Amino acid sequence: MVYERGSWPIQLQQIIDDFSEIEDSMEMIEMLFEYAEQIDELPMSEWSEDTKVHGCQSEAHVLPIQNEDGTFHLQGASDAKLVQGMMAITAIAVEGLLPSEVVTFSPDYTSEMGLLNALTPSRANGFRNMFRKVVMAAQEMGE
Amino acid sequence: MAFTPEQARQDFPILNRELPNGRSLVYLDNAATTQKPQQVIDAMSNYYETINSNVHRAVHTLASEATDAYEGARNNIADWFGIGDGHLIFTSGTTEAINLAAYAWGRHNLVAGDVVVLTEMEHHSDIVPWQMLAQEREVEIRWIPLQVETSSLDMEVFAASLEGVKLVGCIHTSNVLGIRNPIEEVIRLAHSVGARVIIDAAQAAPHDRLNFAESGADMVAVSAHKMCGPTGIGALMVNAETFDEMQPFLGGGDMIREVFLDHSTYQEGVHRFEAGTPKIAEAIGWGAAIDWLGQWVMSEIHSHTLGLARHTAAGLKEIEGMRIFGNHGNGDGAVVSFLHDKLHSEDMAHMLDAHGIAVRTGHHCAQPLLRKLGIVSTNRVSFYLYNTMAEADFFLTTVKDLVARFT
Repeated sequence: MVYERGSWPIQLQQIIDDFSEIEDSMEMIEMLFEYAEQIDELPMSEWSEDTKVHGCQSEAHVLPIQNEDGTFHLQGASDAKLVQGMMAITAIAVEGLLPSEVVTFSPDYTSEMGLLNALTPSRANGFRNMFRKVVMAAQEMGE
Repeated sequence: MAFTPEQARQDFPILNRELPNGRSLVYLDNAATTQKPQQVIDAMSNYYETINSNVHRAVHTLASEATDAYEGARNNIADWFGIGDGHLIFTSGTTEAINLAAYAWGRHNLVAGDVVVLTEMEHHSDIVPWQMLAQEREVEIRWIPLQVETSSLDMEVFAASLEGVKLVGCIHTSNVLGIRNPIEEVIRLAHSVGARVIIDAAQAAPHDRLNFAESGADMVAVSAHKMCGPTGIGALMVNAETFDEMQPFLGGGDMIREVFLDHSTYQEGVHRFEAGTPKIAEAIGWGAAIDWLGQWVMSEIHSHTLGLARHTAAGLKEIEGMRIFGNHGNGDGAVVSFLHDKLHSEDMAHMLDAHGIAVRTGHHCAQPLLRKLGIVSTNRVSFYLYNTMAEADFFLTTVKDLVARFT
């Protein structure tokens, strides 16, 4: 299964649809703030060079782990709420997938969400780096 | 002409644009780059439409007209900065100007054991070139500390660290704090031990009628784009004595007198430091920016922008959890750096952008300074002559609303 435009996991497609309906950028920011609260937060005590996402203006950390059934789970945290909100959506997107499925995931869902220009992957190295970290972790789990 | 921001902003087409979210632009990122008046845009377009040609060498009409326009712009800019008997070398901006100083002067005048003094307030562009040179030549770098309480340089430490100093680099006006440093005292102390002084005036030139010859500085670096000119051009101003101590850095076309198979000889004057086809349209655009600025009295522009900064700093201080940096005293630049203890600077910037307000966020290319302040980033608003009190008030109201809503 390849996860890309038109074949996103249902929980991600729902989020994309919700975001696509928003016209006001402040409403979008509020929604990202709300998602930020939903992440399985990686405690600051576990932040390390291994978890750090480089290229962010903010301090951002992710820890990809495997559930007992072998499926993928993402913990994360950032001192910037919008970054943590993006992380949370990514975590929801890949939750419960097999690592072999996570490696097929396209990062294009952010552009489909119609995110603020400044948050799109073309502008934000940090998002690309975070996404790469997730995919690389999934690759290692699958080996 | 008496200065008013309302009149000045009429010349800036970009200030009328609507953003994709339907908001009007409130541009408060002028310390990063200023907007360009129509007269600058027209001057550059006119060059390309009517006289585009390479300068200096060819004998045809266009080349002659382009050379006159290019060198005329240099004279105009040099006059504006009171160059006296010094020289104005075009560079790509302040960063390249300081790198030119490090290569063309530093590598021919500094030896192992010599000392370069910099301040903790410096922009990275006045740190990294000297660090690269220091590593290569075993030159020592000493630092004039920032006193956090007063946002000022510790001049006593500087006065006590002058032994062996051959060069002092100092930022005229901090791009983070807006602090205008006591460059006169820095220059006096440096010269008392025979050291050369380079001043980073990127933030000062747009707000102050800087006079190079009167300042006594040996080298001054500036950028055009922070004073209504185009990007991609700036200058290193060098006094006659220091100029004689410099050797060419970039080799190639336009900087040579003769080239043989085994050696080359170089042009006299500034052209020996300007290899390759120069920034012709940009120089002409910068000259037009100088002409445009010249219609106003710079001190009136400074009073206006500093007034906006003081008003903004005072308004931000009323917000609980807000930390304001800098003093906004007489002579300081019109920047206000701030940081809320519960709203990350990046979140703040995105939310302001959603309201059409452009501000800067991050370390502002001054990581040692921010480290000294115990922070990793700030938000920064910076005003220029076309900004209005209504814009400052809209910014303040928006920040207050955001803090109330999200904390």
